[in-house]
Amino acid sequence: MGWLLVTPALVYFVVFLLYPALSALYYSFTDWNLRTDAAWVGLANYADLMFDDVKFPHFWKSVRVTLQYTLIAVPLTMAAALAQALLVNAIRRGQNLFRLLLFLPVVTAEAAVGAIWRWLYDPQYGLINSVLGLVGIPGQNWLNTPELVIPALAFISAWQCGISMIIYLAGLKGIPTTINEAAVIDGAGPWQRFWRVTVPMLRPTTFYLLVTGVIAALQVFGLVYVIFSGNGRSVTGGPEQSGLSYVLHLYLFAFRYDAMGAACAMSFILLVFIMIVTAVQFRFVKQEAA
Amino acid sequence: MRRASIYVALVLLSAVSVVPFLWMLATSVKHGQDIYTKVPNLLPTDRRTGEWAATLENYDYVLGVGGLGTAFVNSVWVCLILVPAKLLVDALAAYAFARIPFPGRDKLFVVLLAGMMVPAITLLIPRLHVTQALGMFDSGWGLIVPNIASVLDIFLLRQFFLTIPAELEEAALIDGAGRMRVFWRIVLPLSKPVLAVVTITSFLFHWNDLVWPLVVLNDPELYTLPLALQQLVASPDGGRAYYIMAGATLAVIPVIAVLLVFQRRILQGIAFTGLKA
Amino acid sequence: MSRGVAVAVLAVTLAACGGQGSGGGPGDGKTLTFWMYQDRTPQAGQVMEKVRKDFEKANPGVTVKLVKIPKDDYNTKLGGAVAGKSAPDAGILDQPLVSKYALDGTIKEVPAGLIDESAYYKGALDTNRAGGKLYGLPADQTTVALFYNKKLVPAPPKSWDELKQVAAQVHQANAEVAGMNVPKGDGYGAWMFPGVVHGAGGQMVDDAGKKVLFDQPQAVEALQLWVDLLKSSPRKITDSDKPFENGLAAMTISGPWDVPTIREQFPDLDFGVAPLPYKSEPAGNIGGEDSVVFSTSKNADLAWKWLAFLTSAENNGAVADAFGGFPAHLKAQVVAGGPEQAAFLEQLKVAHARPAVPQWIQVNDEIIAPALESALTGKATAQQALTDAAAKTRSLLGWNG
Repeated sequence: MGWLLVTPALVYFVVFLLYPALSALYYSFTDWNLRTDAAWVGLANYADLMFDDVKFPHFWKSVRVTLQYTLIAVPLTMAAALAQALLVNAIRRGQNLFRLLLFLPVVTAEAAVGAIWRWLYDPQYGLINSVLGLVGIPGQNWLNTPELVIPALAFISAWQCGISMIIYLAGLKGIPTTINEAAVIDGAGPWQRFWRVTVPMLRPTTFYLLVTGVIAALQVFGLVYVIFSGNGRSVTGGPEQSGLSYVLHLYLFAFRYDAMGAACAMSFILLVFIMIVTAVQFRFVKQEAA
Repeated sequence: MRRASIYVALVLLSAVSVVPFLWMLATSVKHGQDIYTKVPNLLPTDRRTGEWAATLENYDYVLGVGGLGTAFVNSVWVCLILVPAKLLVDALAAYAFARIPFPGRDKLFVVLLAGMMVPAITLLIPRLHVTQALGMFDSGWGLIVPNIASVLDIFLLRQFFLTIPAELEEAALIDGAGRMRVFWRIVLPLSKPVLAVVTITSFLFHWNDLVWPLVVLNDPELYTLPLALQQLVASPDGGRAYYIMAGATLAVIPVIAVLLVFQRRILQGIAFTGLKA
Repeated sequence: MSRGVAVAVLAVTLAACGGQGSGGGPGDGKTLTFWMYQDRTPQAGQVMEKVRKDFEKANPGVTVKLVKIPKDDYNTKLGGAVAGKSAPDAGILDQPLVSKYALDGTIKEVPAGLIDESAYYKGALDTNRAGGKLYGLPADQTTVALFYNKKLVPAPPKSWDELKQVAAQVHQANAEVAGMNVPKGDGYGAWMFPGVVHGAGGQMVDDAGKKVLFDQPQAVEALQLWVDLLKSSPRKITDSDKPFENGLAAMTISGPWDVPTIREQFPDLDFGVAPLPYKSEPAGNIGGEDSVVFSTSKNADLAWKWLAFLTSAENNGAVADAFGGFPAHLKAQVVAGGPEQAAFLEQLKVAHARPAVPQWIQVNDEIIAPALESALTGKATAQQALTDAAAKTRSLLGWNG
């Protein structure tokens, strides 16, 4: 009976996930340009990726970019989501309205997100520089200054924190009011209640968002692609490759430089890395709990 | 006082969310020459005279020549079939993983979860091969069948099913109801919130998905919205913001509609999903 | 419950039947599938529609299916289609890809007697050659030239010195206007760079002699020109969206495809187009689209007929215009346009093709572009940057010179 119910999903899993994953694993040991038969090269792709900086001059750069992005974007997004959720949760009237407004960025088509933010970050016409100008901060050339590219991208990801916000909001609603009331009777101020009650009670939520957020950030692709493509230009990852995320790098080798085998190898390196990071996070949480 | 400052903060944060959106709306009704102004302008006014100068021509263009009309219909069809079908496949599997012991169940579940972490871009070409072998290349089926299940959704649904008190089901089973009856009559009705979450997230994903339709479709008559939109964005003349934004606005309307319909359920649903693992 | 299950069962059944894919692949009867970039303009779409109908009229029973794909996504999609043995009968192919695809047998050789080779521009036709054989027909050819804002630049500069001087004057007169929208160290900038190198009498590589030449003085001077121009052309200005069109940059480099777009969106801009300034000899880049027949086509004869039709004296003028370039057939009529065309045609006469090195795209993006950028940002001198890039290129290509 159990197997019967699982069968449709299982067939799907084998046909569209397991088989493709295994063939990608096979291709990672080959030299393959999509057009001719793949030629077995053993571990050469893996070795070249890590040690041959002529064939893959930007591999390690893409690793650094992705790690930096993850380290900035994930906490920023979670903080923005938590702040929004706390505020929305604190009001009675207009909850639905604000929730909807704060969720709008999530539903915007990715293609439009790129165009919108290129305009917002524009050094001449952009709204962001105009607003900064009002408070006396000189305008920046956001998307063309290598040091500013990752923060600028992370900010867009925080702008799209709507789903995390809703999840936090749900977590907040799950905190029994009695606990907060008890804290008030004990004389705890709002700040103390936040740190002593809210944060610990939200721990499972935070953990879930952290794990899924890190997995997503390590695979960031669509955002950098839409920001740095367009205008008929080839995507080479922003100024001085400062926006060359790992998966964008992988994509370029898969489809632009004819090295699908190496691209497959990249994806298995990433897979192993994601698994390690996720396992570490789980272990950390277990220790904390113990 | 405190409440007032909360509202002020909310209004400011909402502004950050909404202004880009408003710009999208404004640009979609602007004439080409009114887009570039030294001072950002959220109203469709004439660059020189400052008079109101809104137009619907951009919508006219993208719906007709731009192919967004056809694409819109295609996207609606694909989502109408795919989203419920996927929900069913996922829910059945999730229920088995949550409730029905069978040999190898937990190991299988772990394998599924690992599969979730393979970067999708690498699976693209092998998946395309499979789709071709199944004769579904360049067809509506090619958009639907290769997406008919989702490990993440199975995971979310299973976590929720685990929170439903087992006694409810056991009572029904003792009364002689079959497993499927229990599933239909007890489990699914109790799971409306999580079903809403899975519905909206999978709808959002497939409504906006670009890469898969790009490789699996050749026939322009079958193009989905993101593909048609991408045609406007990646246009060799640099992409005209007013067309892109008209297209993006059209694309976002159904999403907001779905969101309004499901809003309350989503919130309830997320309160339970995945967080009690 | 049945729908999802039914679909899944269907999938299994089909899988069991084994890979007899039938959906829309090439060669269903007399249907010809042709892949091309999406239309630049609605008018271009109408032109292609007319050519298609004319061809169908001349060949009763034949249906031509035009599949239009965004240029940015074209090679991704084509790669997937070729890997899955579902390539179209024929299609547009990026010039540097022709030799690659030819060498691994993905595309067919042009059948003898299909065309009269002397009827085409030699430069454009040569982009279709690999190993001395012809693998495609040039659909159009194009090049880039200097766009200048007539209000800011009364007469277009002819030499590099004049260019620097004009740019400096513009920026001096108004600090908020850049002299020139200087190319960047990205894929597009690296694509334009060879034209400048040729303008100093140099070249990027000698592909016959397997020598990398872009660390030679001519190329270094070319890069130094861009570095020098930046002084009067701050990026803070030129990194804005469409700086030239908005009057923030007095000059830019672009192609004929931009002319109608600018006219339409920026009717107030008074601009002209002139050949690129040069140091010792006039030079530029050749670009454009080639058209090829894929090996998997079951209608190869018909496909070649269609390509010959597109590139014929009668049709190539309109087709090339629709693609945003100029005809590759010598006798085809250039579609009447503005005075700008003279400059582009002038430029085409001295345009050079890209190096016929199969890995050129990778060299362009991964090695040359970052080298240009490091010089433009002042992190290295032009000489250092190019010496380093040349060494990497030699190593990647396995060349000694």
